[in-house]
Amino acid sequence: MNLVLRLAWRNLWRQPRRTWLTTGAMVFSNTLLVFMISLQFGMYALMIDNTLKIFSGHMQIQAPGYKDEQKMRQVVPDATALAGRLRRDLELDSIATRGFAFALASSEVRSYGIGVYGVEPRFEPAVSSVPGLVREGRYLDDPEAYEIVIGDVLARNLQIGLGDELTLLGSGRDGSFAAAVVNVVGIFDSGVPDIDRNIAQVPLAAFQEIFYMDGAAHSIVIKAPTLDQAPAVQARVEAMLPADAGLVVHDWDALQPGLRQAIRADMSSAFFMYGVLVILVAFSVLNTQLMSVLERTHEFGIVMALGLRPGRLGRLVMLETALLGGLGLAIGIATGSLLTSWFTVRGFSVPGMDEMAVAFNLPARMYPEVTLLTAITGPAVVMLFTLLAALYPALRLHRLHPVQAMRAH
Amino acid sequence: MQRLRVLVLLAWRYLWRNHRRTIIMISAIAVGCWAMIFMTALTRGMVDQMIRDGVSALPGHVQAHHPDFLDDPSVMNRMQVDEQRLGARLEGTAVLAWAGRVRVPAVVTSERESRGVTLLGIDPEAERSFSFVDYDAVEGRFLQGPGDDGIVIGAKLAARLDTEVGKRVVVMSQDPDNEIADRGFRVVGLFHASMASFEENYVFTGRRTAQELLRIGDATTEIVFLGDDYREVEPVFTTVLDVLDDGLAVRRWFEVDTYLGSMLRVMDGFMLIWVIVIFLALSFGLVNTLVMAVFERVREIGLMLALGMKPAYILGQIVLESMMLLAVGLLIGDLLAWATIVPLEGGIDISIVAEGMEMMGASSVLQPQLNVADVVMSNVVVLVLGFLASLSPAWRASRYEPVEAIRKVG
Amino acid sequence: MTPRFLLLLAMLLVAAPGLAAEGHSATEIVRAAIDHWRGLSSYTEMTMVIHRPDWERSMTIQAWTRGQDQTLVRVMEPKKDRGNGTLIDDNSMWTYSPKINRVIKVPSSMMGQSWMGSDFSNKDIARADDIIDQYEHRLLSERVADGVTVYEIESVPHEDAAVVWGREVLSIRDDYVVLEHAFYDQDGALVKALRSSEIGEMGGRTIALRQRMAKIETPEEWTEISVNAVEYDVELGDEIFTLSNLRNPRD
Repeated sequence: MNLVLRLAWRNLWRQPRRTWLTTGAMVFSNTLLVFMISLQFGMYALMIDNTLKIFSGHMQIQAPGYKDEQKMRQVVPDATALAGRLRRDLELDSIATRGFAFALASSEVRSYGIGVYGVEPRFEPAVSSVPGLVREGRYLDDPEAYEIVIGDVLARNLQIGLGDELTLLGSGRDGSFAAAVVNVVGIFDSGVPDIDRNIAQVPLAAFQEIFYMDGAAHSIVIKAPTLDQAPAVQARVEAMLPADAGLVVHDWDALQPGLRQAIRADMSSAFFMYGVLVILVAFSVLNTQLMSVLERTHEFGIVMALGLRPGRLGRLVMLETALLGGLGLAIGIATGSLLTSWFTVRGFSVPGMDEMAVAFNLPARMYPEVTLLTAITGPAVVMLFTLLAALYPALRLHRLHPVQAMRAH
Repeated sequence: MQRLRVLVLLAWRYLWRNHRRTIIMISAIAVGCWAMIFMTALTRGMVDQMIRDGVSALPGHVQAHHPDFLDDPSVMNRMQVDEQRLGARLEGTAVLAWAGRVRVPAVVTSERESRGVTLLGIDPEAERSFSFVDYDAVEGRFLQGPGDDGIVIGAKLAARLDTEVGKRVVVMSQDPDNEIADRGFRVVGLFHASMASFEENYVFTGRRTAQELLRIGDATTEIVFLGDDYREVEPVFTTVLDVLDDGLAVRRWFEVDTYLGSMLRVMDGFMLIWVIVIFLALSFGLVNTLVMAVFERVREIGLMLALGMKPAYILGQIVLESMMLLAVGLLIGDLLAWATIVPLEGGIDISIVAEGMEMMGASSVLQPQLNVADVVMSNVVVLVLGFLASLSPAWRASRYEPVEAIRKVG
Repeated sequence: MTPRFLLLLAMLLVAAPGLAAEGHSATEIVRAAIDHWRGLSSYTEMTMVIHRPDWERSMTIQAWTRGQDQTLVRVMEPKKDRGNGTLIDDNSMWTYSPKINRVIKVPSSMMGQSWMGSDFSNKDIARADDIIDQYEHRLLSERVADGVTVYEIESVPHEDAAVVWGREVLSIRDDYVVLEHAFYDQDGALVKALRSSEIGEMGGRTIALRQRMAKIETPEEWTEISVNAVEYDVELGDEIFTLSNLRNPRD
């Protein structure tokens, strides 16, 4: 075996330039694949993370039907107490209660219909990025104060600024007339016009008072420590909910149905590109191995005449290919990981991509990270196709006739 | 000339001396070329449609507003423009089409539901070049003139409102004095759009009807201009700046929709990178093939050199071989791409990821677009880079010492 | 221009004997009802009960009306809503809440919303449509029940009327008491109806003392208005229908 291995290795270096060129194709593709896959999956994780952290969290507890109908009366009763219990039992701080109501927001000069969230100032920053996006003024702090933070587009539309009063007008939970005057204490800028135009936040206790919520809220937002842990946390939350409460837990996929599809669409185009790369590498290998087999027709004829079976020869060719592929794999993973690591430190950005990044909730500069999976997946597929490509020249040996072969040039 | 012909013939013959290798290499080039063009056509189709849907369809290449309209999109910030004079001055300029519109937020109500929408009062004649609605696919009819008092709404909105063609809905908005402006409209047509949000958010009526409803005389809130190509809006922009009165805010589409603007730039860059990546993946095989081809005939080359052939010819011949290889591969790849894209030009339905595409601002029907410039670009890039890549083996071959080369075992 | 709520009040609360029984066209009957009421003023105290499958809310309200254009409504009970008011003057609607001490003009985007949580929308309460100009009226039938003649009148809104209904059917007694006001969608299906369940004497007239507005699809959701006291032809000065009176009641 050792001998065969050495033989294969030597055969590989009979044409060093050809071997290096073929290896080069693999290294090139593998480097690219490692980098791209690392970047891509890092990007997806960021996209999910950043989209979810704006508002939806990893999961939400709601009354059945609330997600689609958003009726004021579809509430989670005694929500803050429930949230407190969950925080204690799950030992997780990133759990926040929210109420939501449509209301008319009026300044002195303008009125716009908006969505008002009642939030817990203490816990909201743990589940949502909006508190951190306050550009002017400050975020809410007093849970009972009649204060409001609004988006900068809304502020412009209403022509108001910090310290100005805003009148909210809507319907309470019992359908009664709900009205309040709140002070603008903060203006946030998420960069997403829809959010900056349509959303405002007031402290939950004030919200409950204004909209006659009677201690109830509309959702409890939960953010697991990581996205991977979300399903486990969700299972625990579901088990903890009182059985007779009739509440449901929606996971992020249900809350943000577009997200997974956007990723799927992007993945399919990425996989198309990877597929093409892999196929091109396979052609390269096929070419090289076919040449190397054809060159050796004469000597293969001799060893076959000496009694070596074509199967053994085929295995030799496959072994050579495996060594070739292994070389490309090893160097490719190494260079790919190095390249990616360099960007892990330096960051990666495409100039002019800022607005696009914002639309997908991505930072302008990304820091791809190599994981075992992202480093191995691409090169492993390249290896597989390399071996598949070598099957043709290897199997061709079975058709070789020793005498004719020996006569070959 | 004669020499060139010999050289070409020689190169061609050499290419087919090892037909297996040549066929594999040509296949690789063809697949690479196909992938370049196919992928480019898909992305081009997607971006182009996004920009058509998002820009050319409704917002136009250049827009003019009252300067305060951007921060405060209310009918209070309207414009009084002498449209007859404007039309006369735009005659024969880069502006191919233009339209003045009334655009206001409104609430539309049926017997069962009410929805916030954007009401557009338009002159259908002037809007002909703006393709926001597929006129042939309108159920019922589209608006017939600026005085048309019917309303055309999206099919999705109709479903939400539980209404249909022939029924009446009520539209409520506000006049400049903040008084309620409302009236009933008969739904005369339902339009379909590639984006669900467009179908849900826009309703159209005749411009004069909207002006009467809002009590704004013949004022408009926006004027949109369309040039020949969304990539070249400068001529339109300068014309509009020149022709319009001062004091109006004039913006190009990529200033209005910065997302689509950057999308276009990124996609253009991406396509070049994609072509280069494919080429690089191919180049290893190409150089390999050439190196082998040279290696196989070192002795012949030595002989030729010994017989007095100039090294330049050797170099030329190897480069020619490479160019032929590439040309044949590219030709097959181009044909392959053409054959696969043309049947798909009607659109590929990817509605399983519709909500995801909508998040990107793209529709759920992908229409690949075979763009001559893109095909030329990818072919030229491959040929130029291929030429450069083949220089090294060719140069090496032409530098052989004749005697040593002949002695070499082939 | 007749705010719709006033029209309802006009037709439901105001009764006048002597609607000629024979030979009147539908338009004339409706016009007569309005003409009769036009120029009059009223002060009413009523209880509004909003019923939902899982809860019920009751409020007492006062209403002043003058002519067709002016109405002031103010909540007396419950305590938390006390002082909430709505003023309608011509085409505009303002709302006031003592809690925020602000008068806010209701914008068009809010007109479809429920008025004080009831089954009436702001638009139902305030919309300024001339029932005569905006509808085509037709007498459907005439019948005699309990000694009074009941006219059934179909009112079809004009093409450009800001009314979503396909048609409305009014059952009016010859003494102007409206027995029923039914709203049909454009397919001809009954969507909701306002029905009088109690008719009696008050303020010197025969009026509907209790009426209920209910959607046909959700019969468990309704709003019922019952009249506690009513005065007609009261002296109401201009100062009643002003924003400052909406804000600072003078009584």
